[in-house]
Amino acid sequence: MGKLEGKVACITGGTRSIGRGMADAFVREGALVVVNGRNAEKGKQCLDEMGAGDRAAFFAGDASKQADVEGLIDFTIDHFGHLDICCLNSGGVLATAPVAQMSDEEWKLEVDWNLNHVFWGMRRALQHMIPRTYGRIIVTSSVEGKLGKPGIPGYAATKHAVNGLVKAAAHEVGTLGITVNSVLPGLIETDIVRETGPQSATMMGLPSYEAMLDLFAQESAIKRLNTVEEVAAVAVLLASDAGRNITGTMFPVDGGTMPY
Amino acid sequence: MGDLSGRVAVITGGSRGIGRAIAEAFLAQGAQVAITGTSAEKGAQAIHELNRPEDTHFIRADAKVREDCERAIDEAIAHFGKVDILVNNAGGASNHAPVADLTDEAFDDALKWNLWSTFWCSRRALKPMIERGWGRIINMSSVEGKVGKPGISIYVTAKHAVNGLTKAMSKELGTTGVTVNALCPGIIETDIVKAEGPGAAEAMGITYEKLIETFAQESATKRVMELEDVAAVAVLLASDIGGGITGSLISIDGGTAPY
Repeated sequence: MGKLEGKVACITGGTRSIGRGMADAFVREGALVVVNGRNAEKGKQCLDEMGAGDRAAFFAGDASKQADVEGLIDFTIDHFGHLDICCLNSGGVLATAPVAQMSDEEWKLEVDWNLNHVFWGMRRALQHMIPRTYGRIIVTSSVEGKLGKPGIPGYAATKHAVNGLVKAAAHEVGTLGITVNSVLPGLIETDIVRETGPQSATMMGLPSYEAMLDLFAQESAIKRLNTVEEVAAVAVLLASDAGRNITGTMFPVDGGTMPY
Repeated sequence: MGDLSGRVAVITGGSRGIGRAIAEAFLAQGAQVAITGTSAEKGAQAIHELNRPEDTHFIRADAKVREDCERAIDEAIAHFGKVDILVNNAGGASNHAPVADLTDEAFDDALKWNLWSTFWCSRRALKPMIERGWGRIINMSSVEGKVGKPGISIYVTAKHAVNGLTKAMSKELGTTGVTVNALCPGIIETDIVKAEGPGAAEAMGITYEKLIETFAQESATKRVMELEDVAAVAVLLASDIGGGITGSLISIDGGTAPY
């Protein structure tokens, strides 16, 4: 009997990287999972690789779009009958820049993708979870939700912001059987990091993408990047019964990077 | 095959309360466990109740005494061959008072019980862990390691110190395969809380019931924590997959601490 036996989860950005790691771990623990992503082909590949049969489904959508985020929640409830665990995981940057050079377009994208997505998803999920007096909301924040590197101001701001939202929401629903937490991973080489990392590195004043990876690794105590599996293990804990009294927490998976 | 198969853990103050719950959880995951405590009777009872005679061992030791702490580690290694996981769980505080009325003895006692014990046990256990390239040190802190209630400054201070020691050690040990983390639970009505709580409440100018209620109401869940909450996080940190988490002060407090 898995730790999440029969629980229904949805995960934004769930076809690859951190979200996929959560999806795989949840399925192993007996959950039913809807994974979301922008790309239908990656979605199909994800379902094939997960091999979970009718215990997994894909919902195409862009986490920076309100209708798609709310659509994911609605689809999950419709498809599997209800929603227990909502992982608001998708996020990143496209063309980051230092504040003085930051464009309106990039700032708006990052706010929509990293912060508003979490609000839209959280609101929709809570409206379902509150009457049921059961739920788990897990937000993928970042070490940048406590720190703040140059060159990625939108990312740092929005990751700080989701931590605040998590804390406030946790206190709203604390007596309703619903926990709200964020996980704060150190850098993990996701698809998005590989795609946008070179430009991010330049904006951070670093000579190369590899130098950026190295910077994050060296800031940790363990001098290496964290892994998808490490984050997924924490997500399982938070999502399970064992996590019922952990709420409003910013759970670190950062190899000792953050000072608090 | 549990998450902790083949591992050996030492849990100070492991006969009852949080330490006992962690011992049970570790055993369920395949570990062998040595527990320490000041009472041989309670220790024997714990070993009997745990019902795993080959995989458990009680060591009578007073966490406030250096020689006992070092002997506990040495005896665990002698008995089980090694120590992979050290849970510095023993701790508490007595003779609470507001600072203006606080005695040297109460201050010193709390530091011995929580901070020195963590230091002595960790120092003794570290070299073999580093040599083997694998280790887990889990320090029992508290929500009071992050916040700070009036009337219990000796406890608050000691737990803040444990958090600092945790962070510094994690940076020293980062690439050795040894992680060091602190657990920061909210209040749980353990034997020690029931024993010392009335005195703490008096120092805070309230009743014991009000003290429990105060802690509960500060959380989002409006209830006290449970032993199993802490044990589950301890298992995660102690396992292989927990190797990416170090220097962390993990709140298990129903949403009380603000960071």
